[in-house]
Amino acid sequence: MDLSLETRHEGGHTIIEVGGEIDVYTAPKLRDKITELVGNGNYNLVIDMEKVDFLDSTGLGVLVGGLKKVRAHDGSMRLICNQERLLKIFRITGLAKVFAIHGSQADALAER
Amino acid sequence: MAAAGAARTTTGISVSIARDPALVRTVRLVAAAVARRASHDEEFVEEVRLAVGEACALLVGETDESANGGPVEVTMRLEDRLRVAVSANGSVAAADPPTSDIDGVEPWALLRGLIEDFDISRAAGSTTLSMSWALA
Repeated sequence: MDLSLETRHEGGHTIIEVGGEIDVYTAPKLRDKITELVGNGNYNLVIDMEKVDFLDSTGLGVLVGGLKKVRAHDGSMRLICNQERLLKIFRITGLAKVFAIHGSQADALAER
Repeated sequence: MAAAGAARTTTGISVSIARDPALVRTVRLVAAAVARRASHDEEFVEEVRLAVGEACALLVGETDESANGGPVEVTMRLEDRLRVAVSANGSVAAADPPTSDIDGVEPWALLRGLIEDFDISRAAGSTTLSMSWALA
């Protein structure tokens, strides 16, 4: 399965719905999408990973890189993830403390 | 004659891929299938899939120069433990370069966090990442 990326805007946030596998092959596509959005002035990103089947360290690197990009503009990046197997990767790498991880889009958008 | 009490036949599988990041997924699928032969615990299967994929991605590399370095060989054996070796010509830095945007989230940290038994060896110009898991 390849990576799918769908973008929409809601309540001052840009939501990227990611589907498929984020790995060494597909992660550059996500990185390019984030770079493009930030380049166009979208500094408050929500990455919805509910439909992500797989995430490796390359994908984590892209997410960290994205976080740095939006923070450089006083922006934010929130993640939506409720799959235990992905949450485990965030915990092992210590990134669970770095990212704001929410269980649903409603939760992610509700937080001020 | 099989050894008394042998619960399973030894499974040995070798996969060789070109250094193309697109092929790492194929290795992950094979790794998951081998792991599933040993256990129906999906957490275990997921761990093997992730670890083998990480090791493979490290050796595949992303640079053009590594494209000429020959294939990445992956061997998986179900013996007393599930043993996986991933090897390729050339060396690999055992830590992320400081310029990486991974910021302390090294693939190595993930590998070492995932696997109790993990080892890197270099011999005759090639690097081998070895890992194993106890079988339930």
